[in-house]
Amino acid sequence: MKHILVIDDAATVRMYHRNILETAGYRVDEAINGIEALEKALVKPYDLYIVDVNMPKLDGYGFLKEFRRQEDLSQTPAIMVTTEAGANDRALGYAAGANLYLTKPIKPHELLSYTRLLLGDLA
Amino acid sequence: MNNLLEQFLSEGRDFLQGIGEKLMQLEDEPNSTPLMTELFRFVHTLKGNSGLFEFPEMTRVLHASEDLMDAVRNGRVGYSQDLADQLLDAMDFVGMLMDEIEATGEISKNHAVPAAEHAQVLRSLLVVSESNADSNSDLHTSSEIKSEVNSLLAELPIFELEESVAEELYLHALEGETAFWVEYKPESDCFFKGEDPLFLMRQVPDTLWRHIILNNTAPILAEMDVYSNQLVFQLLTTAPSEELDDLFRYVPDEIKRIEIPALAFVRPTGNQDDHAIDIDFIDNALALLNKNNISVLTQIINTMLELSAPELWSSSVLRWVLRLLEHEPDNKTAQHALLKSLQTLTAPDWSAPAEHVERSDSKEVEHATTSVNVRKTEEDDELLQNFYVVVNAQREILSLSHKSGFSWTAGRLKSIASTLMGCYRAVNRECNIDNVLERALAENSPTPLLTWLEESLANNEQDVEIEVETDFSEISTSSESTPNALISDHKDAHENVVHNEAKTARRVDEVSTVVPKTLKVDQDKIDRLMNLIGEMVVAKNALPYLANRAETVFGVRDLSREIKAQYAVINRVAEEMQDTIMQVRMMPVSFIFQRFPRMVRDISRKLGKEVELVLEGESTEADKNIVEALSDPLIHIVRNSLDHGLEQPDVRLAAGKNATGKLTIRATQESDRVLIEIMDDGKGIDPKIIKHKAYEKGLIDETTLERISDQDAINLIFAAGFSTVEVISDLSGRGVGMDVVRSAVEKVNGTVGIESQVGKGTRIHLSLPLSMAVTNVIIIESNKQIFGVPMDMVVETVRVPRSQIRTIKHKQTTVLRGRVVPLLSLNQLLARGVEQLPNEDDEFATLIVRVHGEHIGILVDEFRETVDIILKPMAGILGGLSSYSGAALLGDGSVLMVLNPRELI
Amino acid sequence: MAIEYKKSVATFSEFISVEEAEALLEWLLKNPKGKVNFAECTHIHASSLQVLMALKPTIVAEPKDADLAVWLKVALAD
Repeated sequence: MKHILVIDDAATVRMYHRNILETAGYRVDEAINGIEALEKALVKPYDLYIVDVNMPKLDGYGFLKEFRRQEDLSQTPAIMVTTEAGANDRALGYAAGANLYLTKPIKPHELLSYTRLLLGDLA
Repeated sequence: MNNLLEQFLSEGRDFLQGIGEKLMQLEDEPNSTPLMTELFRFVHTLKGNSGLFEFPEMTRVLHASEDLMDAVRNGRVGYSQDLADQLLDAMDFVGMLMDEIEATGEISKNHAVPAAEHAQVLRSLLVVSESNADSNSDLHTSSEIKSEVNSLLAELPIFELEESVAEELYLHALEGETAFWVEYKPESDCFFKGEDPLFLMRQVPDTLWRHIILNNTAPILAEMDVYSNQLVFQLLTTAPSEELDDLFRYVPDEIKRIEIPALAFVRPTGNQDDHAIDIDFIDNALALLNKNNISVLTQIINTMLELSAPELWSSSVLRWVLRLLEHEPDNKTAQHALLKSLQTLTAPDWSAPAEHVERSDSKEVEHATTSVNVRKTEEDDELLQNFYVVVNAQREILSLSHKSGFSWTAGRLKSIASTLMGCYRAVNRECNIDNVLERALAENSPTPLLTWLEESLANNEQDVEIEVETDFSEISTSSESTPNALISDHKDAHENVVHNEAKTARRVDEVSTVVPKTLKVDQDKIDRLMNLIGEMVVAKNALPYLANRAETVFGVRDLSREIKAQYAVINRVAEEMQDTIMQVRMMPVSFIFQRFPRMVRDISRKLGKEVELVLEGESTEADKNIVEALSDPLIHIVRNSLDHGLEQPDVRLAAGKNATGKLTIRATQESDRVLIEIMDDGKGIDPKIIKHKAYEKGLIDETTLERISDQDAINLIFAAGFSTVEVISDLSGRGVGMDVVRSAVEKVNGTVGIESQVGKGTRIHLSLPLSMAVTNVIIIESNKQIFGVPMDMVVETVRVPRSQIRTIKHKQTTVLRGRVVPLLSLNQLLARGVEQLPNEDDEFATLIVRVHGEHIGILVDEFRETVDIILKPMAGILGGLSSYSGAALLGDGSVLMVLNPRELI
Repeated sequence: MAIEYKKSVATFSEFISVEEAEALLEWLLKNPKGKVNFAECTHIHASSLQVLMALKPTIVAEPKDADLAVWLKVALAD
């Protein structure tokens, strides 16, 4: 079973993502900021990271940047999910290391479809 | 309610709380960047959360708040009190919506207009400051306003107009002649007032569209209440505003009126089944629009119109495009959206923020890639669309980074390769990328991957009927149009990233293993646990009885001893359990303190006073019920201090005080009680005035008026009936409903006291038990019945010899340690015509209780043991008996009635 | 009487006041296939209008009064 880390400071968003992904048969862990996410990822790498931008302590950009420097983790795809929808923000997200930049709110089927694509799973 | 919604509400309230606190703190440090960042994040996250649900009203207000806070954070808008006020108002509104969602699961449509108003107010703050800062922003502000007006429209029902009528209205509206949408919701009892809503609506001139809604609530038609109005009327009119005002002058509250902007009339109509518009045509038209080649665009649209049946929906769209080109040549967004609607086959949503249409280039790629001809199942379709979104994202990453001389790490390249492999696999396509990746890694360059991707996309174009070419032209035009922006972004991004790196390195060490250990538990569950433990305490109390019976009735002494031993164990465990659950129920008084900064600020500003609020001991804990019971009395007291205690700044200065008054609220724990003190350095209470008022009110007689001490006089403000509106207006101290405060505090076994010095200030202190779950009572016997009396009221128990009882003015008294104590017989108090029974030495068992600060003796027949009980308020008819504070079950199963001496006497 | 009830048709004439609603509801409940004739009608009080909207009887003749006709049309459209 593929294992996904959802990183968001909002518990509601984490639950939302978790519900969608678990229903589709993925295993989901949660982290409330970039620091916790790094810690969890370093202990046990995940198959996909879904990252919010604006978080306390270490934001999504910071997380991705640091994450991409970790030899063991760096090849894993990451989706950045945020309410910031400007072209600048997207470029920032890509520069930091995101493989996909999505704008909230994401519909359940959208999230699932992208997750499957990045993980190479057939529906 | 589902879990997600519950989570949202619970987390949302925390955010609202946090936002309020941060705003307060910001008031003290208006330039604090960390505070603003935090504040922005709260608003931002809350907005994000609300977007997961269909709560457009809430999201709208939060969106506006977010934009405003973003501007504040970036220094585009200065922080001001007004701004804080508006934000707080908006957050109150959001809190109210949350309450409604919790109660009903949804937000009533009635909130749409207030929501829009809140948003508008917030945006106006944004607009004003921005146009000051930037003279170039006219365009921007007008689009902001437009998007706000448009969002109002989202609430409108879809009115269907003939295209010619809509065109007429559109042109009228463009010329500034307004059209109104009117909704009339007559009261249900309006027929009895002689009103005829239909007649009224028929008087509206120039009605262009009308609609009537029947909200019949009767389950069966036979029960329909024909004389209760169940109709709602809506119409669209071009009548002048004054005329409408005049018509509806008697029912203004039942009327909702919205001015309709021109764009709202742009609604294509017609037959949508047969959409013959060719995708090439649409692309061509969009390209011409982008190049601003209007003459050719007009030409091809006219040609297309000649070729198509006029009643088609698409023809209607094209006619509207022509009208927009003619009348609003600069509104490219709207023109673009209309042309796009030919692809999506849904009318443009004018209520969506205008910027949305501009910024969604990436989304447009999705649409463009879906050839209208290729209609597979929807899911496949979506997967394929998304496939291109993801692939194009990788392309963007590879090429953008390439330009800006980005330094590549192996991880970045690998992650892109693995993303691509995943994507291709998910749509069942070959993806032989391994070699390419190796080359890229060797060169540490994205170029091999980019080249491979371009080639792969070019090949795929032949495999699938997809208009990839159009995609790319669009992508390249959009990226060409802003090359500078992208490059500078990259610099920013780079700096930002470097900056973050440093932070990360440090913080990873700092915050090593912070795992939240808090559990949020529903209060019902705790209450249930509490009840169960209460029952267990009672059940446990049965064991000593059992032991007694074993010994006295069955004569098994050993068993009796064993039961007693076992009882000791169960007793200990039960007490620990009780203790623990008490701890769980404990909450800090900060729970109620936290609202005071805002309240004090609001009220003092309204009164034009300057007040410094000092909160102390916020972490002091007490049982949840106690803390909650404290809330209203405290608010009352604080209000009084602000209203009547603290003076205006000029008065204070004249009295030689600091212009800013000081209000202190302090909580401390003293053994098993919580003390709350509310102190102000205001003008204090003048006992003379109190005395006279009390005399006028008939609360004291003339002799008392002369003799009463100043302190006793001040205490009179707690007397029932002391405060009236008339008193408030001219009383120079306080006294607004202080008797209410007293009774609320006494209800939870608390006491309240006051000290005041004229000119210096007032101190009010409340003392409350830490917990109210378990009550220690003494059992007494009277007239062959047993009763409980709460121990916290009992000062002592004494036996008073009959000879020591004196009758003064028909009242029995005795002297106890040099103090005269009035005596009352319980039998008399309970209206039983029986004398109390003395013991063999002719002494009466007497409970000395403290009531309102006075010692009073209650004569009973005999004292018994003291017990811990779980006091349950009495229900039903018995609940009305104020002389009892409740009842409890005893270990032997009998019911103990617990007296309430305060009310009894 | 402003509404005249026959076997299967209720004929509305001129101004239908508030008092008519109850009788109209009873008649329509008793005669589920009852039809209505508005030809000579100039106004219907909202109380009767809501009865008509709730039961949607068949209309045999629209009012000659054009404005009322438009209102009845939107009210009684399905």
